[in-house]
Amino acid sequence: MPCLIQRDRLLLMIATLFLTVIGIVFVYSAGSYWGKIHYGQTAPFLVKQLIYLGVALLSFSFCGRYKGLQSEKTWTLLYWLSILLLAAVLVPGIGVVRNGSQSWIALGPLSLQPSELTKIATIVKLSFILSNQKSTGSKIHWRHFGYLFLPIILIMLQPDFGSAFILIVSVFLLFFISGYPIRFYVFLIIAGVVGLVGLILSAPYRLKRIQAFLDPWSDPLGSGFQAIQSLLAIGPAGLYGFGFGNSRQKYLYLPEPQNDFIFSIIAEEMGFIGAAIIIFAFGVLIYAGFKLAYKSSHKVSLYSIATLIGMIGFQAFLNIGVVSGLLPVTGVTLPFISYGGTSLVVTWIAIGIVWNFSKER
Amino acid sequence: MWVTKQVSVRLKFVMMIFICLGCLLIGKLITVQFFQHDFLTKKAEENWDREVPMKSLRGNIVDRSGKLLVGNRLAPTLYFMPAQNREPEKVAAQLAPMLQMDEKKLEEQLKKKVTIIKIAPEGKNISYELAEKIQKLQIAGLYTGLDYVRDYPYGVLLSRLLGFTGSDMQGLAGLEYQYNDLLLGKQSAIRLFTDAKGANLPHVEDGWREGQDGATLELTIDVDVQKVIERELAQAMEKYEADQAIGIAMNPKTGEILGLASFPTYNPTEYQKVDSKIYNRNLPVWMTYEPGSTFKIITLSAALEENVVDLEKDQFFDPGYANVEGATLRCWKREGHGQETFLEVVENSCNPGFIELGRRVGPTKLQQYIRDFGFGQVTGSNMAGESTGILFSPKNYGPVEHATTSFGQGISVTPIQQVQAVSAAVNGGKLMTPYIVKKVINSENGKTLKTYEPTLKRQVIRPETSAKVRNALESVVANGSGRGAYQDHLRIGGKTGTAQKAENGRYKSGEYIVSFIGFAPADDPKVVVYVAVDNPKHGSQFGGVIAAPIVGQIIEDIHTTVGITDRKEQMEKEYRWGDVEKVRVPNLVGKTKEEITELLYPFRIEWHGEGEKIASQLPKADAQIVKDGTIHVYLEKQ
Repeated sequence: MPCLIQRDRLLLMIATLFLTVIGIVFVYSAGSYWGKIHYGQTAPFLVKQLIYLGVALLSFSFCGRYKGLQSEKTWTLLYWLSILLLAAVLVPGIGVVRNGSQSWIALGPLSLQPSELTKIATIVKLSFILSNQKSTGSKIHWRHFGYLFLPIILIMLQPDFGSAFILIVSVFLLFFISGYPIRFYVFLIIAGVVGLVGLILSAPYRLKRIQAFLDPWSDPLGSGFQAIQSLLAIGPAGLYGFGFGNSRQKYLYLPEPQNDFIFSIIAEEMGFIGAAIIIFAFGVLIYAGFKLAYKSSHKVSLYSIATLIGMIGFQAFLNIGVVSGLLPVTGVTLPFISYGGTSLVVTWIAIGIVWNFSKER
Repeated sequence: MWVTKQVSVRLKFVMMIFICLGCLLIGKLITVQFFQHDFLTKKAEENWDREVPMKSLRGNIVDRSGKLLVGNRLAPTLYFMPAQNREPEKVAAQLAPMLQMDEKKLEEQLKKKVTIIKIAPEGKNISYELAEKIQKLQIAGLYTGLDYVRDYPYGVLLSRLLGFTGSDMQGLAGLEYQYNDLLLGKQSAIRLFTDAKGANLPHVEDGWREGQDGATLELTIDVDVQKVIERELAQAMEKYEADQAIGIAMNPKTGEILGLASFPTYNPTEYQKVDSKIYNRNLPVWMTYEPGSTFKIITLSAALEENVVDLEKDQFFDPGYANVEGATLRCWKREGHGQETFLEVVENSCNPGFIELGRRVGPTKLQQYIRDFGFGQVTGSNMAGESTGILFSPKNYGPVEHATTSFGQGISVTPIQQVQAVSAAVNGGKLMTPYIVKKVINSENGKTLKTYEPTLKRQVIRPETSAKVRNALESVVANGSGRGAYQDHLRIGGKTGTAQKAENGRYKSGEYIVSFIGFAPADDPKVVVYVAVDNPKHGSQFGGVIAAPIVGQIIEDIHTTVGITDRKEQMEKEYRWGDVEKVRVPNLVGKTKEEITELLYPFRIEWHGEGEKIASQLPKADAQIVKDGTIHVYLEKQ
């Protein structure tokens, strides 16, 4: 069914490009005033983001074609390299602290966030391990968890809970697709609920945190600040929004509007319609990706494609959920759209790998 | 293609979950963007608002004829937005000398890390001329807000009723406080479109939020009446070195309060200088005390309404005391009034006589009348801080309590309750709710927003009974204890009151509240005037001596204002030793100089002009003057 695969790959690319273009446009709109105030230029983010996009497209075309990526050895190497980088980032002098997390390695004018790379390497490496496994006997294996928790621990040390959470969810998604028994997930859910209740009961301040999340207005200048500023962008916009470029919240009311909270500026300027289109585009991306996974010719391709797409989709859900007040604030970028080199390049690399793995072999 | 059944099912399941998550997001967006749209828009506007307030005018307070009692005076205030000017030092150097303030201090103020700074107190409510000068400097980020301050054309007049406003024009006491919401209006403002730090956004035009001026409050007060009352009370305060003084004038037929005064008074622009008791207590409605003899009007009305006495025919013997259940209740006159008619009982304010009247009415009925006349509950005059007073509860109401209540002791009432009750007793029996606000007017277009109409609470006694009460009270002024209030041709009726002050349930020796409640004219009352002087320290402490002349003088001075015309039939004042004897002025106009000299009038005559025939005279014919008084006569040549 090569032609059908071609159709799904086309759909995937359309969604990806659409979201990327939206990203470029709104990094400009949302970030222009912030850039002017903090860097004295109207479009510092746009220029940089265009450069990052160039890098992203180059990475994509490389990853989309490079045959070496289809061998497990490459991924074993990449996995351990990313672990090394994660360890290096914790070393003072190499790692750079930003926003309270030591997540960055500075390379001259550029900076790299190893955890982004780790997410992909861990997912593909584990996809290989799972696809090599004999189908007999229990699927659950301590080795899988070892490969998962080694990077998780290192990421938590930064600390970067957002990335860690996304990686855990993505890998559990991978385990699920690979046939981990349902009872494992039932156990996971029960353990999660019990653990959560236990945590809340053991320390009443956590209950207050939850209340603060449910009612951000109780502390509008403290813990509820970002959530409220985001709602003040989205809410008044209504169906059509204030029109492109007419956001009010981007005038320093919402901090760093080009980053994690870019979706609220989109919703403010383009209204519910614009916001819904973005969500729909992510839906198309996930749909096309899963179709490609379904039709892959190899187990490992199926696992990798589904998990990488799932990771992007889940990250998008997490970001929009936070921005719209559905979820408590966690620092997660919106794939393709938020400003940031590593995020954009790595997401495009993921798409490149999907492209590569979805080829007939 | 490699896919197993299990993997296929699980992929579809995950896809389903993603669809659910997408729906969750869409649902949340719908909630936020549609259901919470209005709420969030309001919040966002609050968040964006960077406003330079342009105070809308606080409503005026005017008297019943529209004379301004409280108005506003323009007093601009300076505001500074630090984000729009990076040289606060320069601004401070320019402004400090103009505002006569320390440059360093101003600089410190201007460097505050806030969006908008109100330069206070030196830059608050500055003169208009200074504001203009400062505007000419064209300092970036400096704005002049149009502020107003309260202005009182009559100074201290009515201050304890009107109250005052605080630094931001919020009503803090009196009517200013009570009607604050109406008077305040909605503030206008320049809406600055700025970023979160207050810097101007060059491409967005500043907006304007239209406010609304506060409503004008038209009172029932008549400034001319008020002036007379305050003048008289001020004199009394000084003359008797009294602690406090209270005065009320009310139209008995409508309940409109024409004048309402409390002393000592204060200047509303300097309220910080006086004890808060002075501005927080509007004495005519707040203060409660034993009414004393003025309360006998209630007993009298009840007795007449119940038809248990014929004032002129029934006789009473007052030995100077009455025995009730073993208790001896004394008359104010130790030796007693002896044999007297009940009209004389009223004229003399004879306590044993009123105990008898109370006995004839009966305890249950008298209690009912007292409550029907409005005692024991607030009058509903809509003035803040009104007290209810204290009556005997029915179970504590024994014969002794009944007896003392009959002549106004052992209970506690407010001045406004007394005015309300006496108005009903003399106006034909209608208990009218006293009120102070006549109209609420939209200041911008002059339209009346609300009119307060006279409110009838109930008919307490019949009109015929009321006429008898008026007659008896006129006779109190003409022949009895209220003679000090007598004014020729005005037919004043009234009743004195003298009550010992009580504190913590015990009488304070030597401290009295002397009062008089009067009305005029007796045939058709147009005004009820009540005056009480608290603890006068000179002269004999009797209402008849101190308060009655004040009420008489007030009624004399306001009678044209309240529409009282001279009366022909009046009770002539009975002359008593010590009274200044007055005689009527004969008509001299038209007579010749010779004729007059022959007649030997008991007056001194001062001649004016030249001629033989008299053209006019002052006072006019039939007016009363003191014996040996002077008549000015104007001659004309024939």
